Amino acid sequence: MIRAPHSLQRRLLMLVLGVVTTVWLATAALTWLDVRHELDELLDGHLAQAAAILVVQQGKEMDGDHDSVDAPSLHRYAPRVAFQVFHEGLLVMRSTNAPQAAMAGDDSDFRSGFETVQLDGVAWRVFSTYGAERDVHVYVGEEADSRSHILWAVLRSTLLPMAIALPLLALALWWAIHRSVAPMRRLGTTLAQRKPSALTPLAMDGAPSEIAPMVNALNSLFERIGSLLESERRFTADASHELRTPIAAIQAQAQVALAETDDALRRHALRNTLEGCERAIRLVDQLLTLSRLEASAMPAMQTLDLAALVRRVIADLAPKAISKGQLLEFDCPAPCQVQGNETLLAVLVRNLVDNAVRYSPTQARVAISLLQGNDAKQILQVEDSGAGLPDSDLKRLGERFFRVTGTDENGSGLGWSIVRRIAIVHHMQLHVGRSDKLGGLAVTVAI
Amino acid sequence: MRILLAEDDSLLGDGLRAGLRQLGFLVDWVRDGEAAERELRAQPYTAAVLDLGLPRKGGLEVLAAIRAARITTPVLVLTARDTVPDRILGLDMGADDYVVKPVDLHELAARLRALVRRAHGQPQECLTAQDVVLDPASRTVRKADVAIALSNREFALLQAFMLSAGRVLSREQLEQQLYSWGQEVDSNAIEVHIHNLRRKLGNTLIHTVRGVGYTLMRDAPAP
Repeated sequence: MIRAPHSLQRRLLMLVLGVVTTVWLATAALTWLDVRHELDELLDGHLAQAAAILVVQQGKEMDGDHDSVDAPSLHRYAPRVAFQVFHEGLLVMRSTNAPQAAMAGDDSDFRSGFETVQLDGVAWRVFSTYGAERDVHVYVGEEADSRSHILWAVLRSTLLPMAIALPLLALALWWAIHRSVAPMRRLGTTLAQRKPSALTPLAMDGAPSEIAPMVNALNSLFERIGSLLESERRFTADASHELRTPIAAIQAQAQVALAETDDALRRHALRNTLEGCERAIRLVDQLLTLSRLEASAMPAMQTLDLAALVRRVIADLAPKAISKGQLLEFDCPAPCQVQGNETLLAVLVRNLVDNAVRYSPTQARVAISLLQGNDAKQILQVEDSGAGLPDSDLKRLGERFFRVTGTDENGSGLGWSIVRRIAIVHHMQLHVGRSDKLGGLAVTVAI
Repeated sequence: MRILLAEDDSLLGDGLRAGLRQLGFLVDWVRDGEAAERELRAQPYTAAVLDLGLPRKGGLEVLAAIRAARITTPVLVLTARDTVPDRILGLDMGADDYVVKPVDLHELAARLRALVRRAHGQPQECLTAQDVVLDPASRTVRKADVAIALSNREFALLQAFMLSAGRVLSREQLEQQLYSWGQEVDSNAIEVHIHNLRRKLGNTLIHTVRGVGYTLMRDAPAP
């Protein structure tokens, strides 16, 4: 299943707003708890102090008449606060909003302290205490509701600015992120509008440092694709040349043979026609080998005796060398076990030996050796006593279709590309130079 | 018609040489660019067939060099490079025709004949002088609509004369048109061939300019 691509902008916005909201809510919760605690302590303290004042007051006026007195209400908050003073069980003083009966508990089990009680369906916080002789009982109460009013007021002043700030913050964030990802969107649009064949580098102006590496990577990718396409294009051009020439030769020779009246000349033309066919076949074979080599990543490897393989290849090519009067020799003191693909290694060895035989003059010496090198490597060397190659040609060996000029041999110029490719697949090092022993070309393969 | 063939591929060069010879051309074959340029500078070839991928000196370089030296020999470029830019470049460098390999031998011969014709300012395939008509394609000669049998050398000699009608050609020039490399030239061969041509075609056609050479008159001289 393909997931829809998520928007970076949306993600960032969600993340930042989520974190901000969480922190904000946590702050509110902590404030709530803290303020409530402090408020309780403060207001309870006030209740206790008011009760203490009433107790002291009552002690002084004990000798007066016991008529109950209703204290006047003096403040708009006063209805929320109430008190009662009892002397020897009789209500002697109360606020106008206080009931006749004791607000908390009763005289029989009088306990001093704080208590929350329901009076006419309203919750009151009541502090009860008594005088020194235990005959005076004082109750001071306050509506519990008023506490939460204060609490809410405190919270409101904290939460309200945040609630207003949050949408503004979201808006500012959205704008900032939108602007920040604009270069990315521009890059995307530019890429989408490019022609598939366009391989020119992307312009870097104004790209922020986060985008620059991406643009750089893309540009270097374009460059690599460009050079790949160029080499493919050159290969096609070269291949067309190399395929057309033998076909042109076959056509010309066949037409000559058809029109020729002289028997010897006609036979000559026919032989040339066949030779042209063989050349075309070899060329096609080599092209196929090369394209297979480049298509398959890794051929199957096995342990094999390279010495035996080289011997077989030399046996195949010996008749050709003998017909040119060349001396072909193989020096190998011991079997040589290597890891490799038998078919490919045979192609490699055949190409090397065939080249040496093909491009060396008659009566030349071609020496092949397979020896233990000094760093535990096996060294396969093919040397000849031919003319060798100038440095400029050595450099160009392995370019597809590069052919050493001035030879009469009809090589395709693909053999070296194949050898090099096989060496790479087998992690072998290929070296071409001048032979110390024979003076001609020396090809060294380190295995 | 004597042609220089510059082609490095031995099989193709051999085939083209044999095929063009069958079609009545004299062919000299060189295998590299330096030799091609040297021969084009040294000899007045009727035309040249030039491969572009020549060793030592590329075909385009050869072309540029001979054109710079004001050698106007018609050049047919025969190559495997088939892209339009390649063709344009070849023609702009001074090629008179551009043919992509592989090519039919008969087409190649026809194109060469056309090149030569154009180079001599003749729109028709057949060459005409007085009542004699020479057809290079079918290699036939007719006098007053009667076919005349000529040997290969006689035909080549008559063709050389007709292509340069009205101009005096020296014996050396005629020999160069008649013999390719390695062919023995008898000291009096040209005289013999001219004698035979006069016998077969009449005396009014070819005239001797004593001490200079010979000339073919397109129109019969007033009696």
